[in-house]
Formats: sequence, structure tokens, C-alpha cells
Amino acid sequence: MSFYPAALQELIDEFKEIDDKRERLEYLFELAEEVNEFPTSQWSDATRVRGCQSEAHVHIEVDQGLVHFQSGADAKMVQGMMGILTIALEGLAPAQALMIPPDFAEAMGLLNTLTPSRSNGFRNMFDKVMADIRQQVEG
Amino acid sequence: MSLRDQFPILQRQVNGYPLVYLDNAATTQKPQVVLDAMNHYYAHSNANVHRAVHTLAGEATEGYEACRTKLKQRYNAERVIITSGTTEAINLVAHGWGRANLQKGDVVVLTEMEHHSDIVPWQMLAEERGVELRYVPVLSDFTLDMDVFSASLDGAKLVCVVHTSNVLGVRNPLEAIVEQSHAVGARVLIDAAQGVPHASIDFTDFGPDFMAFSAHKMCGPTGIGALLVTPSAFDEMQPFMGGGDMIETVTTTGSTYQSNEHKFEAGTPRIAEAIGWSAALDWMASFDLDAEHARLVDIAGWVAQQLRDMGMTVYGRHGPDDAAVVSFLHPTINSDDMAHLLDARGFAVRTGHHCAQPLLQRLGIPGTVRASFYIYNTRDEAEAFVAEMRDIVETFA
Repeated sequence: MSFYPAALQELIDEFKEIDDKRERLEYLFELAEEVNEFPTSQWSDATRVRGCQSEAHVHIEVDQGLVHFQSGADAKMVQGMMGILTIALEGLAPAQALMIPPDFAEAMGLLNTLTPSRSNGFRNMFDKVMADIRQQVEG
Repeated sequence: MSLRDQFPILQRQVNGYPLVYLDNAATTQKPQVVLDAMNHYYAHSNANVHRAVHTLAGEATEGYEACRTKLKQRYNAERVIITSGTTEAINLVAHGWGRANLQKGDVVVLTEMEHHSDIVPWQMLAEERGVELRYVPVLSDFTLDMDVFSASLDGAKLVCVVHTSNVLGVRNPLEAIVEQSHAVGARVLIDAAQGVPHASIDFTDFGPDFMAFSAHKMCGPTGIGALLVTPSAFDEMQPFMGGGDMIETVTTTGSTYQSNEHKFEAGTPRIAEAIGWSAALDWMASFDLDAEHARLVDIAGWVAQQLRDMGMTVYGRHGPDDAAVVSFLHPTINSDDMAHLLDARGFAVRTGHHCAQPLLQRLGIPGTVRASFYIYNTRDEAEAFVAEMRDIVETFA
């Protein structure tokens, strides 16, 4: 049984109730609103999510022991996934954040998250966010 | 039984909607006869080829070699080397012919329209041998700059050109390219991966030295393709993979090789795939490919115009010899978002750079959405696709 923060579990349950994939996508697009905007002027090679078909950038800061997640992308779907990740991670202690498994996107009926591939930038984004958190904690 | 009914996969639903498969430039679906042929082989005749004397080995060998014979007949080619697909066929030219015949300073002419499979092997060879690569640009009307092509031929030993672009669907002026290349003594390699599915080709009459293509884009299995070679170019090739099936004798001091195509087919070949491809070739011969192609290009041209009317940019021209491929971009809706929204209603399309990044760099775009049509696609499917696109644009633009 995967551990999800309460806010993320609530989202998973909401997505599970939506049978139609188009409606799930529309809901996902709405979640793009949740993103802490990462200005394009700060996008760089270091913030780029590699292996993503869309242009996607993430920036992690651990401030006073809490994770702060900023992100931006050109695809609405990626922005929506970033919105979900924001709801999941923002304000958590790094140790808690690092316990979140990537399979929630699958549980939501949105993506296959098992294998990184060029059509699946989400897994690459998730892995980069977690690596960036780890790096911040470990210095 | 209707043509569509012969494809079991076309009966399935995707996300609760009937599948409308429009990713045929990536791979085509397989008719039941192909699936049956491969199953029958594994259930009744599975054995290794060319060696043992038992009955099963004979049946497997006959099945494998029948594929070569059918390819020779269909394309009027004297030499047919069976490969894992177009990519391996092109790499075979680079390693088997290029290494034996190209020296430092020799010129290989490519085009910006090439698939990565017809760029990367030459870049690798250029690095190893000091061969010069020259790229023919693509013009704003999506055709090759033939003036630059002609000027690039000075010193050329090899010209590599894609028959039909997998992004644009544009069929290149191959006859002129072959004629001009041969006039300066250059060999010509045609990447026909997107050509053979829709064009009837007489390799010998048409005149290139090499032609590479894959089974899976013409209703055959994945994992198998072919390199057609003229006898004179064949004589200039050296094997680059050693092992079983390609040898004549092996001693501890050296080996001698087969003289026929087996020389380039080291290791146990793709037997079931060859038998499946044979069945696909027979099946393809059962209808009028030219008439089907005319129908599909007509559909593609109509779809392209509908998309333009919705404010999209379409990359391609959809002439009678072009492929039924429609590459497009919406000014505000992201390509991947578009593909996910289409998938939600059962439509399979491709997005991204389509393994042709130099072409997209020339067009100044990161990728396109691509809908590609094949023989089982109908006008009704095209109309449903256009209606879905209209709904997506109205809802999300």
C-alpha cells in the first residue's frame, strides 16, 4: 500500500470517480492553476526535465525545513501534473516528500508511470524533483 | 469479409470509444492472415534454417527464403538482404559498403528531410573516416532545394535520400536524383520506409543502388526489413557482422564467406517474421494499391484543408504521389495535450519530432501532431477525426 499525503489521496479518489478520460484530462488541466509559477526567465539547463517531449522546468527550495516547489511547462497536461505534485509536496518536510511514490499518476488513470520513456516525461519530472530535494537536504 | 474486418485490432475500443488508428506512418496494423501465418509456423514448422536436413528445417528454410523470393519479384530486385528493418539496412550500407569504399575527403550527400536512421550512421562513419557530409536543404514549399542538390554532387560518392518524408508525406523527385547522382558516378541509397507502403516500385527500372525498407509499415511484422542492392553494388560490399549462416568455411586461421545474400545475414534470422511478411506481401498483392493510395491521399488532402480552416498550420502538400500523412500544429493548443485529448476519444495519432530533428529545425518548430492514414482507414473515420478536432479547438483554444 503506497503512502500518500492526505491532499494527494483526496485527489486520487476524485480522479478514480471520473470514468471518462476526457473529463479526467479536463480536471487535470484545471489543476495547472495550483502550480507555483517558475518564471521562464529562470529556466535553464539545470532546471530542465530531460527526456520530456514538452519543455518542462522544475525548481526546488528547502526553506526552514519545508519543501517549496516551483514549476513551468508548455503543455497543459504537464502543468496539471505539476499542479498535482505541488499539492502533494508543497510545505512538506523533505523526509515526508521523499516517501511519496510516483505511481499516483497511474492510480489517477492518467499515465503509465512505470517506465521512463520519451512519451512519458512525468516520470522523468518526478525523478528530478525527488533528486533535487535529496540534493538540497544532503547539500 | 470486408478489408477492415480482416484486422482484429480494429474491432477494439480505446477509452470507451472505437479505435481510430491514425499512426500508420509509425507502424501499420496486421491482418489476420499475417497473424495466422506466424502462429502456424511456430505451431507446426518451427526449426532453424539452412542447416539441418529434417523436415521441419526444410519447411522453415522454404518459408524464410520464400519471403526473399517474393520481395525480389515484387520490387524486381536481383539481391535482397533481409535485415531487422530500415535502420539496420541503412547501417548495413554504411558498414558493409561505406567502410569498404569511402575514404577521407569523399562526399556523402544527405538531405535535411532524412529520418535520424539515415543521418546518424553517416555521422558515425564521417567521424571514423573523415568523410564529408553535405545536407540538401528543404524549401518553404516542403520540397528539396534541387539547385543545392546539383551543386552538392561535386565529389560525391554516395547520395542518401528519403523516398517519402515521414513528417511531411512529401515524395521526393527520386528519378532526377538518381539520374544526376549516377551521372557523377555516385551510388544512391533510398530510404523507402514510407515509400513502399503506398508506392509500386520497380527497383531495377527506377535505378538506385540500394533501397531500404521495413515490413511493419506495410502490414507485416515488426523486426524485419530488407535492403535491395544492385549486383554491382553488392559486389562492392563487405560483411560487417560475422557468425553463423554467413560463412562458407571457418578454420582457426581464418574464414571464407558465402557469396550470396547470406553473407550479410549472420546469426539465426527472423524466420517467423519472414513468414509473416510473406503473408503480408501476398495480402497486399490482393488489391489495387495505386487506387487505394489515391483514395487515401484524397482523404488526407481533405483533412489538411479542414485543419487549415480551423486555424492550424499544416506541413505538407498532399500531391498525388505523396503519402497520406497530415502533420499539423495549432497556434495555442500544445501537441501532446492534443494527442492526449484525441486518445481520450479513441484516436491514435503521433506527436513529437518524428525522429527527424534537422527537418523540424529547418521548419523552426519542435514537433508536430501527425495523423497518417492507411488502407483500412475510411472517410467516416476522417470525418470523425475532423469533428473531434473541431470540438477540441472549440473547448480548449
